[in-house]
Formats: sequence, structure tokens, C-alpha cells
Amino acid sequence: MSTIRFMEEIRRRHGGETIALCYQCGTCTGSCPVSKTSDRYNPREIIRLALLDNRQEVLYGDAIWLCASCYNCQERCPQGVEIAEIIFTLRNLAIREGKIPKLYEEFANNLVASGRLAPISKFLEKKRAEYGLPPMKPVDIEAVNKIFSATGFLELFSRSKGEKS
Amino acid sequence: MEEIKVGVFLSDCGGQLSKILDFNAITSFVKSIPGVTFVAQANEFWRGDGLKIILEAIESRQVNRIVVAESIPKVSEVAIAKAVEEAGLNPHFVEVIDLKDHCAWPHRDSPLEATEKAKAMLLAAIEKVKLMEPIERAEYPAVKSVLVIGGGIAGMQAAEDLAEMGFQVYLIEKEPFLGGLAARANRFFPTDDCAICIQSPSSLKTVANTSRKCVYRSGISELPNLKIYTSSKVVKVEGAPGNYRVAIEQRPRYVEIEKCIACNLCSNTCPVEVPDEYNAKLKTRKAIYITTPLVYPPAYVIDEKACKFHECAKCVEVCPTKAIELDQKPKQVILNVGSIIVATGFKEFDPSVIKEYHYDEYPDVITNLEFARMIDSFGPTNGAIIKPSNREPVKHIVFVQCVGSRDRRWNPYCSSICCMISLKHAIFVKETNPEIDVTICYIDIRTTGREHEYYYERARELGVKFVKGRPAEIIHDPATNKLIVEVEDEILKKFLELEADLVVLATAMVPPEDAKELANILGLEIDSDGFFKEYNAKLRPTETMHRGIYICGGATFPKDAPTASLHAHSAAIKAAKFLMNGKIVKDLKVAVVNEDYCGDCEFCPVTCPYNAISLVPKDNGRLVAKVSDLLCEGCGVCVGTCPVGAIELKHLKNNQILAQIRALLSINGSSKPLVLAICCSECGHAAVDSSGMAMMSYPANVRVLRVPCAGIIQVQHILEAFRAGAQGVMIVGCKPDGCHHGVGAQKAQRKVELAKRLLSEYGVEPERLEMLNLLFIEGDKFAEAAKKMTELVESLEFIKLP
Repeated sequence: MSTIRFMEEIRRRHGGETIALCYQCGTCTGSCPVSKTSDRYNPREIIRLALLDNRQEVLYGDAIWLCASCYNCQERCPQGVEIAEIIFTLRNLAIREGKIPKLYEEFANNLVASGRLAPISKFLEKKRAEYGLPPMKPVDIEAVNKIFSATGFLELFSRSKGEKS
Repeated sequence: MEEIKVGVFLSDCGGQLSKILDFNAITSFVKSIPGVTFVAQANEFWRGDGLKIILEAIESRQVNRIVVAESIPKVSEVAIAKAVEEAGLNPHFVEVIDLKDHCAWPHRDSPLEATEKAKAMLLAAIEKVKLMEPIERAEYPAVKSVLVIGGGIAGMQAAEDLAEMGFQVYLIEKEPFLGGLAARANRFFPTDDCAICIQSPSSLKTVANTSRKCVYRSGISELPNLKIYTSSKVVKVEGAPGNYRVAIEQRPRYVEIEKCIACNLCSNTCPVEVPDEYNAKLKTRKAIYITTPLVYPPAYVIDEKACKFHECAKCVEVCPTKAIELDQKPKQVILNVGSIIVATGFKEFDPSVIKEYHYDEYPDVITNLEFARMIDSFGPTNGAIIKPSNREPVKHIVFVQCVGSRDRRWNPYCSSICCMISLKHAIFVKETNPEIDVTICYIDIRTTGREHEYYYERARELGVKFVKGRPAEIIHDPATNKLIVEVEDEILKKFLELEADLVVLATAMVPPEDAKELANILGLEIDSDGFFKEYNAKLRPTETMHRGIYICGGATFPKDAPTASLHAHSAAIKAAKFLMNGKIVKDLKVAVVNEDYCGDCEFCPVTCPYNAISLVPKDNGRLVAKVSDLLCEGCGVCVGTCPVGAIELKHLKNNQILAQIRALLSINGSSKPLVLAICCSECGHAAVDSSGMAMMSYPANVRVLRVPCAGIIQVQHILEAFRAGAQGVMIVGCKPDGCHHGVGAQKAQRKVELAKRLLSEYGVEPERLEMLNLLFIEGDKFAEAAKKMTELVESLEFIKLP
């Protein structure tokens, strides 16, 4: 557990630099297509909790995983807070601590196994053939895994899986 | 030339200093210095018997240069210089140093070392006065006449004040009518009276008397020494404070003000209709028009862009007084004024750029100013609140706060008056049309002025709804012609879709588009938000870096009417104070140029914070710098900037700086390596004072050289200090953004960085040089830094620059 303030921890990470500029005007939430349909996701509230150093609720709650990354909030924020980037930063922090939702874990498994987020399915190949598209080429798994290894992704992923179990 | 005879007067502060410093040793040292002819010691020298000793020494011709060691020199030197001048000696032949706060008190624990430092300080002061040349006093005539730029509430009030004080005043306004933005606001807060109301001149004992009145009947135009130019702007300013030649260009009105009786026949006849900008384009007007019946001048004007002139000329035929002249040409008028007041105000930000509010697409999205026109009974709807799209009555109004203000994409500042404007409008709606539903969407409601919070209170009592949340988008439903305001109610954490017939945007207030152009003409500074920058926000809020030019009202920042008015009176007093004697008297403590060295570079004219330096061609076509003695404030920033040493201060020549550096470092008397602190006369030197006053101690090896501004410092001064034996150098200036001469502290910082690089080249550790930016109250920081620097240089090898 880090000894610096949670807000400071976010601000020092790439993508989190602008968080302290937020003055809680609510333009982000008002602009958010997810917030319009669900009260489980409120970007203003996530930023507010983060500014109050509520690490537990932000990183271990489900909210940060519901962002659709449409960037409406970031586009309209009058203070230039990079809200969508901050959400990514928070997700990264959560994964570091072993908090990874099932869906994202599957994505990661697929990436490591096939080099793709979604595996090439029979259905997909059939559709491509119908449209006259060439079959998809397999990814050079070895190369991809070299990248994952060099960037620390493998280590991070295995650690988060380990902490979970 | 008379032989130089220095008198040294040592005050022991009622015996306090002689407990620490060895005055016998100091006196015999001073006596041994060539040129010193007189040494005296007393309790104090700045008044009473002590001062008499100085004056007698001058009168008996025993001395013609004075060095006084006295406490609080910044006070005592004024009294001494004044007395010395009365005794017939140039007051600038006096140098006052502080042996108490700069020596005895901070070094009271090491009296022997303090005594040696006192000797060095006295030697430096003696060397400085020996090289001092007389400073003459000059007088410049000042025309008792003022130009006021901008005919809004601030400009009108300042012009009236000055005219009533007897100055000849010229008030110019770029629009064809006086009143400015304020006049369009309908009503003011917190007085709730009409926006077009101003204070009448008290010297007129007719209709106006002393009561406040509408602009058009206030009598302002009847003041015999106030001349008003409408449709005019400044195109050129020449001359100097007290004596400016200002060229103004006046667009033709095409209507003779003296003949026009504002009967409306011309306008009724005119076939050309254009959108009425004054009324926020909510209606149209003719090519010949008057904004409202309540304006000054009460005369029609022709819109040059719209009128067909001789192709039509129907108005000329119907005018009963033959007031219309279609062949009028623009006029240039030259005004001779002693002072200029800028009162150019502010304008509404164009919210079209905030695409999600669709201001330029949806006619029912309007601004607060447009709403103010709508509720004006002289306005486009005669006061009826309607939907501009179909002119139907309104049931729901939503106000949106902070549109383009507190927004780092457009205007990061809070425009300060928009909350109050919206509250005022919301209250007006509720009081006149209680059935209309009013909602204000806000981030923070700011009601900081006197009585302002009561508006917020009244609005709540009247049933105005407040939603905390900045709207994300305004959507138009074509089926119903309604607007939907999408906003998060932050308190309920609910997404709301507010239905509205009319959405009023509380837009930012921004500088007028021509502010920059005017700033260039006048040589004034613009701040990062685009407003005119004052000399000092706390103490000189209506003064600029240029003596003789003042700013007031919204030109400096958006303001409500009471504050703009207050500001205007302040600027008027400043201008009056400047011109009241009809002359400007000044001691020429200014920069002088050595034309043999100067040539063809533009550093000093660009850098001078007072625009006092221009380039003039010499016989061979070479451009050399010329200093205006009147404009120069003697800060020395030009000296620090000049790459060839071609400019120096009359009151602190380069040889005086170098002589003092060498003198201060010629005696050590302590086991510690010498450190030189070069301090600006303003906050830097005062911080050293305050460390002594507060009895903070630092080692006596730290020596202090006083210069007018840190901006005067050249790299060669720093190198000279190291050559003369300093092992460390500190530069002490004001805060970078609080420099009393604008840019000095920043320039010094750059010199320090450059000198650090040079020192590295010489193999000298760059940490031996340090820049400090201090306030008077930060004496503790000076003492701390002096100790640290001493410790640092003690830990390093002894160096001697060649």
C-alpha cells in the first residue's frame, strides 16, 4: 500500500495528471451516455471519490469498468480534465492490485493465447468468406508474447490472477 | 572642479551600536581613507543636533560628499537629503547605510567580525559618493487636459470628475452614442435602478442639479470644458506624460448633431432594414437610426454599411431641419492632453464556439445581455418575454451559468458579475410574470458583494429553482419547438432533462476586440486574460507602468457598476494629482547612453518597462538608443540588458557598482569565505533590513550591495565579485511576478542562469551563485540562505577567478 495520497498517486501517473483541476460541475455526467441509462456509473462521482482519496470505493467498485470510452466527457470538460484517460489510469491501478473483472480477464487470456482480443471463430470466417474477404492470418504469437514480456504485461497479468486466487 | 571632500557621520543609535562595534577602530580606519576630510559620531544624524553637525560641515565647506551610517536609512535618508539640499549641496551626494540592521544586530555574536564588516561597508559607501556626479532637477510643462477613452459608465464618471475639477476633458467613444455596455443592461444591481443613470455634474445648477439622472438629461454634455467625440477611436499617440499629442479618427455621423431634433421622420422614410445589434438582433432597425430615445447625443446616425446614400437619399428630403449631410468625411482630430484614462470596458463572449449549447443555431438560446434588451420597455419586444423563434409567450426559462468563463478552453477566469446578472433577471421575471417557471443551473453561486447575497435569498423566496450542475447539452425538439437542457442534478445525482422555451446563457465577459490594438498604441501591458494590466493590484489599481496613463472600470476586469464607478473616481484623482501643478518636477536619476558604443541593437527599447527608450538615427544612419528623461524611472533594467555596456545609470554608474563590489570584499576580518549579496532596492534590500530588525543572525562574511533593481545586474558584475574574492554570490530580488519594475527579477534570473553556465566553463561550481526572490517579511529566508551559502562555500575549495 502506497503512503502517498490516492489523488497524488493518480496525478503522477500518465493520463491522471489533470485530475486535481476538477471543480465538480457535472458536465461529464450530463454528457455521459452510460450515466443517462444507468445510475451505476457517474464519472463526476468517481473523480470526487478519487479527490477525497477514497481508494477502496474507486478501485474495488464496479463503476470504473462501465465507461464506454466515448470521450464525450473529456471533449466537453471546461477544466480540461482528461476524464476518460483518468478512468484508464484507475483501471490500470486496479489491475495492479489484482482487481480485474471477468470480461477483461478473458480479453487478456485471449491476447496471450492468440494475440487477439477475440479469437477467430468459425462464424467470423464464414462471414468473411461470404463478403469475399480473405481468411484472417494467425498472429505471430511468439512475437506478441515477446512484447508482452518486455512491457511487463505478462508479469502484471499473472500477478493479478495470482492475487485473485 | 572642486576637490572631493567626504564627510562620514557615524550614528551609534543611542549607544546601542558602540556596544557591539568598535567605533574607535572604525573612526581611525575611515580617517585613513583618501578623500575623507571629516568624521563625526553622534547618537543620531537624521534630525536635531546630529543633523546640525552635517549641515555645519557643509556650510563651512569642510565636506561636499556625505556618508551617513544611520538606522532605517529608507526613512532617514529622505530627511537628510532634504536638509542637505537646503544647505546648498546636491541631495544625491548623500549615501546612507545601515550599520545596525545590516551589521551590528545580525552579527552581534561576533563583534570583531562585525567591526571589520562595518569598515568594508563604509569604504564601499565612500567610494560610491566619491564617484557620484550631480543629478540635476528638471521641470516639464504639463497640459491640464485629459483624454478619456470609452464612454461607458466608468469613462463618463471619470470625465465628469475631471471636468468639474477644472481640467479640459475629451471623452471619446467608439460607438455613435454614449453609455457603453452598461446602458444596455436595463437595470443594475444592487440598486435596481436604470442602467442609463449617472451622477449629474454638481456644478450645473439647472435641471440636473446634484441628483443622479439619465445620461441624456444628466447635463454631462453641458459642461463647458468637456468635449465629447462619438464614433471615434485613438489612432496615434506621441509625446510624453504631461504633454501627449493624440490623433483620433472620427467616423462621420452624416447627421449634424446641432440640427437634428430626433423627430423620427428620417427613420420612418428609410427603406433599408438591417438587424438591430443594439437590441441583440431581436428586431430590425433602419439604416438611419437612434438606439433608444434616451441617449446622448440625441441625434440620429447613418449606418455606413447599410445606407445607399445618394442612390436613395429619401431621408435628406424629409428632414425638416436639413440636418442630414451624406457627404461627410472621416475627420482626424489632434488633441493635446497631459494625461490619458483608458475606460474601454468589456463585452459579452460569443458563445457560438460552445457547440453543445447551439447558440448560433437555436434562436431561443440567447445571452443575458439579449435578455436584458428583451425586458427593457424600450427594447425589441417592449418588455415582453417571448420566444424569439415564434414570438410566443414563455412558460419555462432556464439560465445556464459559466458559459465560456471558468472554462480553460476559452476564459479561465470567473467573470464575477454573471451570477448576479442571472439572479437579477430571474427575480425580475418572477416579480413581473410569476407564472413563468425559472431554473438556474450553476456550478457555484457567487454573491460576494454588498447586498448581493440578498438577491440569492429573494430569488429562492420567489420560487426560482436552482440546479447544481453545468448543463451538458441543449437540444431542440422540432416537433414541439421546445428546448431540452440536459444536466446532472449533482445533489440528487440524477440526470435531468429540463424543458425550456427560452434558455439564457450567462456568458463570460471578455475584453473588447480592439483592446490589444489600443494597448499597443499606448504601450500598455495586457494580462494573460486580455485585460489592461495595472501597476499594482493592491496599491495602484488604476495606475499603469506609464506615469500619466491610467485605467479604470471594466478595462481592467469585468466589474459591476458600483465598482466601475469607484474605479473611475480613483483614476480621475490620479490624473488630477499628476497634472494639478501644471508641471512635472523630476530629479534626473535616469539612464544615459554612450553613443560611441551603442548601435543597431534593439535590446534596451524592447526591454525597458517604461517605454522610455527609442532608437534614433545618427548622422551615419546608425540607430542609437535615446532615453526619455521624463519617462525613465531609473531602474537600470536597460543596463542589465545592454550587451556592450553602452548604457548606464547617472545615479549608479558602472564604475560605482564595481568600486563598491571591490570595497565590500576588500576586508574580511572573519575566518569564513566572503559572500556578496546583490540586493534590489525594493523587496530584496528590505528583506535584509527585516532580518536585522528581527535580530536574526547570519555570518558577517556576507556583504550586501544595493542596486535599484535586480534587472540591472550584468554577468560581468557577478564575475567581478568572484574576481574580487567572493566565494559565493547571492542575487536578491523581488518575486518574479512582483518586481517593482515589471521584468527586473525575471531578467536577473536569466543572468544568473547564464552566469552559472559561464562559471562552469571556468571550472567554478555553479552552486556558488544563487538567486533569491524575497518579500520584506522574508528576512528569515535571507538569513537562512546566507548561512547555507556560507556553509556551502566553506565546504568547497578556495577559488580566485583570473
